[in-house]
Amino acid sequence: MTFRSKLFWVFTLALLLSVGLIAAGVMVVTQRAFEDLNQQHSDALVAQFQREFERRGQDIVHRVQGIADAEPTVRMAIDLSRPKSDVSIYVNDARGVSHAHQLDILDFAANDGSIISSAEWPARFGYKLSWVTQPEDWAARGSFLTKVETPEGPTLALMSVATVRVGDNNLYVAGGQRLGKEFLASLVLPTGMRALLYLNLDPAYQPANLLDSNGPANDAERFAPILEKEQQQPGQQTAKINWTSDPASAEIFHALPLLGRQKELLGVLLVGNSQREIAIVENRIIWLALAVVGIGLLIGLLLSWWGAARVTRPVRNLAEGAREVAAGNWNAHVDVRGGGEIGQLGRAFNQMTQQMSEQRERLVQSERVAAWREVARRLAHELKNPLFPLQTTVENLQRAKEQRPEQFEEVFRESTGILLSEIENLKTITDRFSDFSKMPQPELAAVNMNEVVRSAVKLFEAQFGAVGRPPITPELHLQEDLPAIQADSALLHRALENLILNAMDAMPAGGVLMLRTTNNNGKVHLEISDTGTGLTPEECDRLFTPYYTTKQHGTGLGLAIVQSVVSDHGGRISVESETGVGTSFHIELPSQPARRAQTIPSIFEKEKGKEG
Amino acid sequence: MKLRLCLFLAAISFALATVPAETARRPRYGGVLRVEIEAAVSSLEPTTGVKDLEVSGAKRQFDALIYRRRNSDGTFSSVAGSGLFQIAEWEPGKHVTLTANENAPGGRPFVDSIQIQMGRAARDMLLDLELGKTDLTEIPVEQARRAVDRGVRVSVSQPDELLALVFPAGRTTTEDARVREALAAAIDRASIVNFILQKNGEAAGGLLPQWSSGTAFLFSTAADVVRAKELWAQLPKSAKLVLGYDLGDPLEQSVAERIVVNAREAGISVTAQATPGAEAATAMAASGDIDARLMRFRMPSPVPRVALMNFLAALSPVTKIDASLLPDPASPQDIYDRERAIVSSYRVVPLVWLPQVYGLSARVRNWIAPGPGETWPLADVWLDGPAEAASEKEKR
Repeated sequence: MTFRSKLFWVFTLALLLSVGLIAAGVMVVTQRAFEDLNQQHSDALVAQFQREFERRGQDIVHRVQGIADAEPTVRMAIDLSRPKSDVSIYVNDARGVSHAHQLDILDFAANDGSIISSAEWPARFGYKLSWVTQPEDWAARGSFLTKVETPEGPTLALMSVATVRVGDNNLYVAGGQRLGKEFLASLVLPTGMRALLYLNLDPAYQPANLLDSNGPANDAERFAPILEKEQQQPGQQTAKINWTSDPASAEIFHALPLLGRQKELLGVLLVGNSQREIAIVENRIIWLALAVVGIGLLIGLLLSWWGAARVTRPVRNLAEGAREVAAGNWNAHVDVRGGGEIGQLGRAFNQMTQQMSEQRERLVQSERVAAWREVARRLAHELKNPLFPLQTTVENLQRAKEQRPEQFEEVFRESTGILLSEIENLKTITDRFSDFSKMPQPELAAVNMNEVVRSAVKLFEAQFGAVGRPPITPELHLQEDLPAIQADSALLHRALENLILNAMDAMPAGGVLMLRTTNNNGKVHLEISDTGTGLTPEECDRLFTPYYTTKQHGTGLGLAIVQSVVSDHGGRISVESETGVGTSFHIELPSQPARRAQTIPSIFEKEKGKEG
Repeated sequence: MKLRLCLFLAAISFALATVPAETARRPRYGGVLRVEIEAAVSSLEPTTGVKDLEVSGAKRQFDALIYRRRNSDGTFSSVAGSGLFQIAEWEPGKHVTLTANENAPGGRPFVDSIQIQMGRAARDMLLDLELGKTDLTEIPVEQARRAVDRGVRVSVSQPDELLALVFPAGRTTTEDARVREALAAAIDRASIVNFILQKNGEAAGGLLPQWSSGTAFLFSTAADVVRAKELWAQLPKSAKLVLGYDLGDPLEQSVAERIVVNAREAGISVTAQATPGAEAATAMAASGDIDARLMRFRMPSPVPRVALMNFLAALSPVTKIDASLLPDPASPQDIYDRERAIVSSYRVVPLVWLPQVYGLSARVRNWIAPGPGETWPLADVWLDGPAEAASEKEKR
């Protein structure tokens, strides 16, 4: 994966993470806002309910007090205060009075609590309404919620009690209104909200006691958990009911306990808030957020791609420069813009390549000087050998002519023979130098390395088994499916000849010459090993230096030529040797030669060009 | 014979008590007697049978006015107009105008005509009476006291109508006599008389009133809630009892609701349910889910044997009680024994005796509340003239 791709993915991930976090944050904030809105609606409805409850309570207090203050009631109280008063005449009064005052519940009770007249249950006269006689300041109590017995069964009513006192006797007037569907219907509810009332008339939860504004509520069983919890521990609670699998069908219910005089739980108001509108809005927000995220991501991806490309361009230039340096182009230069770390790196790279180039120039210069010195030394050495006999021969001739003229003819014949021989030697020396300097450029063609190896070995077959010298056994291990390489077969042949000659020189006592070719990932690997005397590490280090030789009569140019050929084909040559065991040369040639690297011979050529 | 003498003396004393002193004035002929009744009679044919008790009673009154001959079973017959009055106008179910028959046997009635409005509500009748728009109306017994308080002239008869709780045979819920006894013991008759009937009536323990049989006091009318609870506790848990009452009868409704309250106090679960008003046996048969029903029985005769046999004949089809004939004449012991047997079965639980209450305008004279089996004495009623009536009204 490229640096650009990595950077792109890092940017993308960072963008995704950021967008995701922001989206999640927005969702959470939105959800909280909706929850707050829900809570506000519910609180408003609960407050409305409480206000309505209070208003109705006040209304009932006024009505009941009005009944208590009315003349007929006072007359009734006076009548009741008389001994052996006949209360039967009042038995039907409550019904008419309750209708007149729009009260569902109205009871007139005597001092002992016995009902004189009851509107909600006329037949209950004579029985005790015991709770009204309990010590209580009814005037201060105001309205309160209580359970009322009716022919249809117990129900909840918002009640008030007023007393008419005549002498020591009280006439209790207990009146109120039922708390039921009519009360729920009177509440003004915002859209999406509804109110339900549970009449806690039984110890266990009874679905039939749950009312809405139309009567018994539907699916009342679903409210069992919240109402049972309320029965166990009265208090404001919230519960969510999912009517279907669709989240929009959900309703959040806030439960408000309705307590009686003794703080007993008599009812529960449930304020339901439909989640439909919120779900729709949330859905819209989600889709909008997704669209924004999608567009943002698309833009972000494009920006990331562009940004990654922009950021990595200097790095790619640096990598390209490094590759050029690796390929031998030490003059590689990268285009440096900006002042950041990458810019500094680019400048450092340019500085480095410049320094390397200069150092290489200096090195080449010093190597060139050293090479010339070596050449001079070798030339001096090579020339000194034939020159010395020439000098002594000429001096013998001079001495013979001056001191022994009679022997001059004989000396002359001998001396001219020596002179010719040494001159021949000088000529040979100059030819070798001439050959080395004239190393041609390879003419590339498809070459099978195995054939080159076989051809070279065949050339020396006669010498391997020559009479008078220990035999050398050639062993060929050639990989048959070796790919063809672009090379100059003549130059390769010449290099192989030098290597085989060296091997033969290294095995004066005979031995085995092994040649192996292998395919190394498209490159051809050639190994030439002998079982000769071997080389020391120091010798190995200097082995490819021109004019360096370990042999008595060598010119020191054979391996230099081999290295030159290998180098001209873009290959590599190395040597490994162990004294007394043998030496192995390893040559690796690519299928296609790369740019021709500068070699020592080319240096000479350059130098020659300068001189020329 | 002694009983009849007693009854005669009682009737005389009651009549003397109710008739104002002014009746000593000379009767006056003429005038139109305006009558309003609740029942709506749709036929004046003597042979037409009517199942509704109220309508049946009203038709009997009409028959007594327009027919001459009275049969042995109390019905009237012969030709319409042969009686005290002749039919002048007739609109079935709405009104009838009767004119005095000049040739009536025994002499012409005092009033020239009688205008009878039918199908009037009790409240409207009372209002019309107070406003002087009518002279004679029926007043529900439970409203009698309030009417008196409002200055209405009221005539109250002997209590001759029995309101009883009847348990039909064949109901599994009430087949156990303890169920019936428990409910009977829970009922507070005194409060029904005092509060619902406003003290116009008597608590009933037996099937005949005290003034008729003379043995009614031997039957307990007191509630015994402890006994009711004990009995109910002995019974396996049963379903809620359903007590039926006549849909159009406010008195029955009030009594039924009171019984429900009484039963509830004794731990007995009872609900009251209105049923269409019809003849008792038919209503009971039609109300398959009714465990007990309130029923009214009007005494057809002051004679105990006749009245009792009549009651038994009406109850027997429903309750399967013994309706065999009593010896004629029957001794008080025979009558008491039969009464006791029936009451002890708790198939019939007598509750209260109800009187007939009439509202009269100030100009109506010589009105005597009819006794059991008797019809309205309209032939003997005469009306004050306008001046006398105004004076009478002022006095009131």
